[in-house]
Amino acid sequence: MNISKPAEDQNESFRARFQRGIGRNIQSFILIFAVVIIWAIFYVLTKGSYLGSQNISNLFRQMSVTSLMSLGMLLVILTGGIDLSVGKLAGFVSVVVAYLQFNIWYTLLPNQVVLPAILSVICGLIVGLLFGALQGSIIAFGKLPSFIVTLGGQWLFNGLLLLVTQGKTIAANQPVFSTIGQGYIPPVWGWGIFVIIVAALLWNMFSGRRSKLKYGFQVRPLYLDLITVGVIVLVILAYVFSVNSYKGIPVPVMILAVAAVIMAFVVNNTRFGRYTYAYGGNNEAARLSGIDTKKLLFKIFMVMGGFAGLAGIVLASYVGYGTIAAGTGYELDVIAACILGGTSPLGGVGTIPGVLIGALVIASLTTGLQMLNVAPAWQYVVKAIILVAAVYLDVYFKTHRK
Amino acid sequence: MDTENILEFQHVTKQFPGVVALNDVSFNIRRGEIHGLCGENGAGKSTLVKILSGVYPHDTYEGTVIYGGEELKLGDSSIQEAGKKGIAIVYQELTLVPTRTVGENVFLGKEPVEHGGINWNKLYADTQAILTQYQLDVDPRATVNDLGVGKMQMVEIAKALSENAKVLILDEPTSALSKGEVEKLMEILRTLKKHGITCIYISHRLEEFFMITDQVTVMRDGKVITTQPIGDLDQNILIKYMVGREMKERFPKGDRKPGEVIFEVKDLEAADPFVPDRKVLNGVSFNVHKGEILGIAGLMGSGRTELVMTLFGEYAKIVNGSIYLDGKDIKPTSAREAINSGLSLVPEDRKKMGLIMIQSILRNISLPNLNLFTRGLAINSYEETKACMKQAKSLTIKAPNLDVLAETLSGGNQQKVVISKWLLSKPKVLIMDDPTRGIDVGAKYEIYKLMNDLAENGVAIIMISSDLEEVMGMSDRIMVMCRGHSTVTLSGKDADKEHIMALATGVAVI
Repeated sequence: MNISKPAEDQNESFRARFQRGIGRNIQSFILIFAVVIIWAIFYVLTKGSYLGSQNISNLFRQMSVTSLMSLGMLLVILTGGIDLSVGKLAGFVSVVVAYLQFNIWYTLLPNQVVLPAILSVICGLIVGLLFGALQGSIIAFGKLPSFIVTLGGQWLFNGLLLLVTQGKTIAANQPVFSTIGQGYIPPVWGWGIFVIIVAALLWNMFSGRRSKLKYGFQVRPLYLDLITVGVIVLVILAYVFSVNSYKGIPVPVMILAVAAVIMAFVVNNTRFGRYTYAYGGNNEAARLSGIDTKKLLFKIFMVMGGFAGLAGIVLASYVGYGTIAAGTGYELDVIAACILGGTSPLGGVGTIPGVLIGALVIASLTTGLQMLNVAPAWQYVVKAIILVAAVYLDVYFKTHRK
Repeated sequence: MDTENILEFQHVTKQFPGVVALNDVSFNIRRGEIHGLCGENGAGKSTLVKILSGVYPHDTYEGTVIYGGEELKLGDSSIQEAGKKGIAIVYQELTLVPTRTVGENVFLGKEPVEHGGINWNKLYADTQAILTQYQLDVDPRATVNDLGVGKMQMVEIAKALSENAKVLILDEPTSALSKGEVEKLMEILRTLKKHGITCIYISHRLEEFFMITDQVTVMRDGKVITTQPIGDLDQNILIKYMVGREMKERFPKGDRKPGEVIFEVKDLEAADPFVPDRKVLNGVSFNVHKGEILGIAGLMGSGRTELVMTLFGEYAKIVNGSIYLDGKDIKPTSAREAINSGLSLVPEDRKKMGLIMIQSILRNISLPNLNLFTRGLAINSYEETKACMKQAKSLTIKAPNLDVLAETLSGGNQQKVVISKWLLSKPKVLIMDDPTRGIDVGAKYEIYKLMNDLAENGVAIIMISSDLEEVMGMSDRIMVMCRGHSTVTLSGKDADKEHIMALATGVAVI
């Protein structure tokens, strides 16, 4: 009998641990490496302005809309499904929110400032959740493939979007609402948030070590935990420092960060998350293990709809209006971010950090190419090469690992 | 060039990280013989097959393999190479395309082409020629889906032979076959032998070696223990070689005193979910006591698996009758309801239904038990790991740690993981559908012991098995099923093989 938790071998050398860590997260490291390379190349080509604080600020803000949807899409792809409707759903939500502000709140609540913004957010979320639930119920209880249902959804939302806008652009520039996509957290607050994050990370590390000891598991050497926390803190520090020397942390980036932390928790530490992985790994075994797989699938698509709603709100606020083109093609960026981030299209494999890095790669490319005034045609070509090459490298390393 | 030995393994060693799968393996296979290869799961048989098929190219192992007098050097895209050289393999899991015809499958990837299109007439004629030559009784134009497992196997063999195979490797060809089909297969193998084809025959059913092979090589822990003419061996000696110790008994002795009735099925009738007129269960009644093992015997198609799936709330639609657990009529309509009321199922096919192969042992064991570790919203992963480790230890799952993926485990250990996940939820009634299928002798014994322990602790066990000796050896009582209904329940002691077979085939009524 020889069961133990070997990950906690006290005598393992730092080098061996490092190599094992790399081996296990090979795709994440390839991607982080890719981000570094991409940044370095654009840094040189743009003579330094690519990594200027203004561009860093824009880069992360631009990725926030699609990244929010990637968080939901991870769940969908984990089940082995796909949601092709999210781009247009977000677009639809953005015009609904714009319509409400321009036509309804303006007449009903003429002198209010905060209330219209709150109502817009609530309505946007409800629309997203409702249509997510609609598609989810057809997929889960009607047993139709998600590919078909959400392809239909894409057309439906496009139609609804045209109905709401009547082909016109609707302004969504109510001042409080605008801060959701365009606002900044003042630098002082930014530093305050940074301190809170550091405290939370340290608390999390020490309470984790305490629990491990309490349950009789070995803990890693303290210096290793400190190095891990240290690296994360340095990355956040660099970011906060950079954006604070422009205008502060963009509000949408903060929304994304909070949503990502919540989703990382949900995916790893709740039954809902575990069941999602189990379903994707083998849905029959999951069902025979007592999981209500239909309800699970329904919930996942509803959550996806919720994220599309949130993304639509941020989108409307960020661009300041709702148009017929809103959200067009976003679903492809969202899916690409998941796949680049190591999510298996067959289901069962994928992580939140992976998806975020995947989204970062795409956003880094897009903004860099735009700064260089590369023609849109070539932007697509470059993105295509990166997407396929990254997945190829991943497959290559997985099959050629000794 | 005709040499006496068609295949020679010379000091072949194959290592994986942390495991030596083949350790200095040397033995010869004579031209034209049927050579048996036996050993427990994990003994190295499959690794050997993968070297011959080219799954492991020649530079990934040490030592040499001589094939027809020359060194066998298979490169990177070597699976087709092996086929061209005349080495063909029939795998345990069938590899046919179910929606296409027999002929299309036989010539898959090497269709006769004429003017840029497939010459269908030639394809079917050639298929027919192969089938006739080796006396395989299958229609070349039949769709594979419509064939039984036995015929599918024939198609596999025809497919292998279509490339002029000199060596045919059969990896556990009989695990899904009925008795008649096995005999038919043996017949086919004898025909192949007459045509001068060398066969390597791998199986867990030892009696088959005595029916068909000329020589047997026994492997254990990656080493060759012996190669001997079959005439010099008997089953006991074979088992001794395989496990490295003498197996005094196949079944461990249990010491249990069944208590009161805990589970009772009365006049159960259920219909096929897709064909409502067809009754898959037609009057099944039985009961199980606390701490008792009830065996269910019956042929394939007798409704055994349909019965347990129905009891578990899956598959068939109950039209009549009742299912009582602890005196309550439960009639579950989903696996979740069945589990909540105290039933657990170790399903027939652990890979498809029991395990999430791409997940760790830990995640597999904890899956149905996450509610035990959830505080508020969050799962306490320390409690989870601790409980699962304890369970894994008590079942002696052999793995370096709990983070190992289920797909890397041997069949016996996989089954232990499935059992672990259900024991953690403390079921009142444990249903085990063919719990030792495809598991080696040593692991079988451990699973039997485990069943005894569980019964002694008051769990009621319902066991289905295709292995009649297993049913008789393990059960306190035996229920025989025939054509969807329960015929009679026998006490384990009074049962004899012929009587059970007569009941199961419908020859005897009581």
